[in-house]
Amino acid sequence: MHKMWIVIKREYAQVVKKKSFLVGIILTPLFLVAVTLLPALLADKKSSTTESLSIIDMDNNGIGEKFKSSLERYLLDDGVTPSYNVKNIYTPDPTDSSAVAELRKELDSLVIGGKLKTYLVISRNVLENDSVIQVAKSFSFNMGSRFEHRLSDILAAMRLENMKINVSVDSILHVTRRVDLKHQAPGGKERDFLTMYMGGIVFVMIIFMTALGYGQILMRSVIEEKNSRIMEVLVSSISPFQLMAGKVVGLGMASLTQVAIWFAIGAILYSFQASLAISADISGIIFNPIFIIYFLFYLVLGYLLYSTLFALIGSIVNSDKEAQNFIFPITMAMILPVMIAMYIIQEPDSTVAVVLSLIPFFTPTMMIMRINFIGVDVFNFNNPIIFEATLGIVLTALTTLAVIWITARIFRIGILMYGKRPTLPELIKWIKY
Amino acid sequence: MNEYLRLDNICKYYNEKAAVDHLSLSVPKGAIYGIIGPNGAGKTTTIRMIMDIIAPDSGSILIDGRKLTHDFKNRVGYLPEERGLYKKMTLNEVITYLAEIKGYSKSQVAAEIDGWLTKMSLQEYKFRKVEELSKGMQQKLQFITTLIHKPNMIILDELFSGLDPINIELIKGILLDQKRQGTTILFSTHVMEQAEKLCDFICLINKGQKVLDGKLADVKAKFGTNTIQVDIEGDGGFARDISGVEAVTEFNNYIELKLAADADNQTVLREIASRVTVRRFELVEPSLYNIFIDVTRSDPAKLEEEMK
Repeated sequence: MHKMWIVIKREYAQVVKKKSFLVGIILTPLFLVAVTLLPALLADKKSSTTESLSIIDMDNNGIGEKFKSSLERYLLDDGVTPSYNVKNIYTPDPTDSSAVAELRKELDSLVIGGKLKTYLVISRNVLENDSVIQVAKSFSFNMGSRFEHRLSDILAAMRLENMKINVSVDSILHVTRRVDLKHQAPGGKERDFLTMYMGGIVFVMIIFMTALGYGQILMRSVIEEKNSRIMEVLVSSISPFQLMAGKVVGLGMASLTQVAIWFAIGAILYSFQASLAISADISGIIFNPIFIIYFLFYLVLGYLLYSTLFALIGSIVNSDKEAQNFIFPITMAMILPVMIAMYIIQEPDSTVAVVLSLIPFFTPTMMIMRINFIGVDVFNFNNPIIFEATLGIVLTALTTLAVIWITARIFRIGILMYGKRPTLPELIKWIKY
Repeated sequence: MNEYLRLDNICKYYNEKAAVDHLSLSVPKGAIYGIIGPNGAGKTTTIRMIMDIIAPDSGSILIDGRKLTHDFKNRVGYLPEERGLYKKMTLNEVITYLAEIKGYSKSQVAAEIDGWLTKMSLQEYKFRKVEELSKGMQQKLQFITTLIHKPNMIILDELFSGLDPINIELIKGILLDQKRQGTTILFSTHVMEQAEKLCDFICLINKGQKVLDGKLADVKAKFGTNTIQVDIEGDGGFARDISGVEAVTEFNNYIELKLAADADNQTVLREIASRVTVRRFELVEPSLYNIFIDVTRSDPAKLEEEMK
């Protein structure tokens, strides 16, 4: 036990003393903020220049003019300059297809030349077929949704008019206003989409980076000891299992130190919450004790499971390069939840989500995402997510124990084998040996 | 003499092929014991079994009359054949870590480390990283890590590999020092000339089997009744044709002649002196190298190849 402690201390010190540890502490949160917040912030950002457009109104029923005036409400950040500048409204004869084609060709060249941001083609009988074409080199989500809303409002007003119900276009806006649907967990805590998405990704990323990052440090340290033959000196003094356990625990403590510092930074930032609008949203997650307990369980289990696998790889390969082949599937297993995050957000209770989150290799990342999306406020096994999350801990813990046992059997032989990589039958022989 | 380490009929097979084949040997306490043989003879495998890194398929290993214990692991210093240390750690950290792993306390290391570093002329590098050292310095550092925890026994695999002549002398001096303090030293090597200058006892092995073992002086006496060394000017190839000469081994500066049991060395001397100028003529014990060839009836050319 005492010798294991010496190994733990060395592994811990080797990581914590490095500059990269400090850099990781500072850069990782910035990186997390970047990947989670930036897309949301960018999507929200208003355009800073006036965009020019033209309209081909084949319906020739005044829609072009109405659309032009409906765009006047949109102003740039300065509150004065209009966001859109409608240059021309063309009303060609819709039956003269060559004239229309000629006009479109001309506008196309303007768009390509950058003289015109975009143009719209309002089709004939648009009140019946709802068809409008927008031509542009690139499309912004913001502009598209504005055009769609305004045109829909205009068409709605015109249809009402045709039905002899006289309403102004402006009042249509009022009539067609959308409901502001807010999500609340039982108990009244507000949960909005951005918070759920961000919170989920942030915590998944922490587990992901801890398991993969520290797992690979562990793997490299095994390969280093193997290649330099220090391994022989070490195992002539200490049992291979003690060595492996000392490494796993030592690096695990280093990773927990890092996470603890992140939490501390988070808590400090939260105390200055006025400066950070997002902290109020995230606080609902960070200060939910049930969530945090589950998070810590999954963090530790995820690390143990994956770092043991990395120790296994380190013990059977001869170089970092050889190890790359094995790292890929492990990374894939860990990154899967991030890739299907959008699906889980929409269907956190679906059978697919439940089954995937109960597969031990996916559990740490997948389950924490589901807990976050579904929300846990009370610890009660009647709540399916509490039951599943707890079952996930048990299954992952059992799998981890099995993986540790197998790895320990292979490790003690693999670390003294050089040259040819063992085949699967050989590995099985080692496990039984 | 007290026996410290005893191997009894140990065998180790790799894929049905015997790497070590019913090897028995006895290492006396406080002796310098050399396991000598060409590459692939089974030296490293034997040492790894003594170190409990791998287990023998059969046979037993006894230390001080007992099975391997954890305590023995703490009291043995081991230098593997291929050397290497943590490149990113400082000398101070590496030495302390490897000593602590052997159960030696941090404060003891702190008290003794400077003496060792000075002895090896590494004092100024104490807080520098291992990767900053030259190969030779790293070798000396590794010797410190092998010895600092005051082992009862030192086991050195391919002791001389990678050492330059100056370091060989330094290390020999330190090993003789350790011997004076009562430490038992076991090493393996394929460099027989170096081994015979250092060992009290030897065990020659070849193809996993013991060829012969015993006190070096006894072994030499047994084989050394009829060998002469001659320093001559010019080519000594003619010596083969002198009657009574059984074998000729040419070294850089001299030739070694093995004579038939009934040959008279004075007759041979006169014969040589009549052909070339003789600078030195000496009745000697045969070199281990020649004994090895003699006993294994190896083809010298082939053995030369295996020694490389």
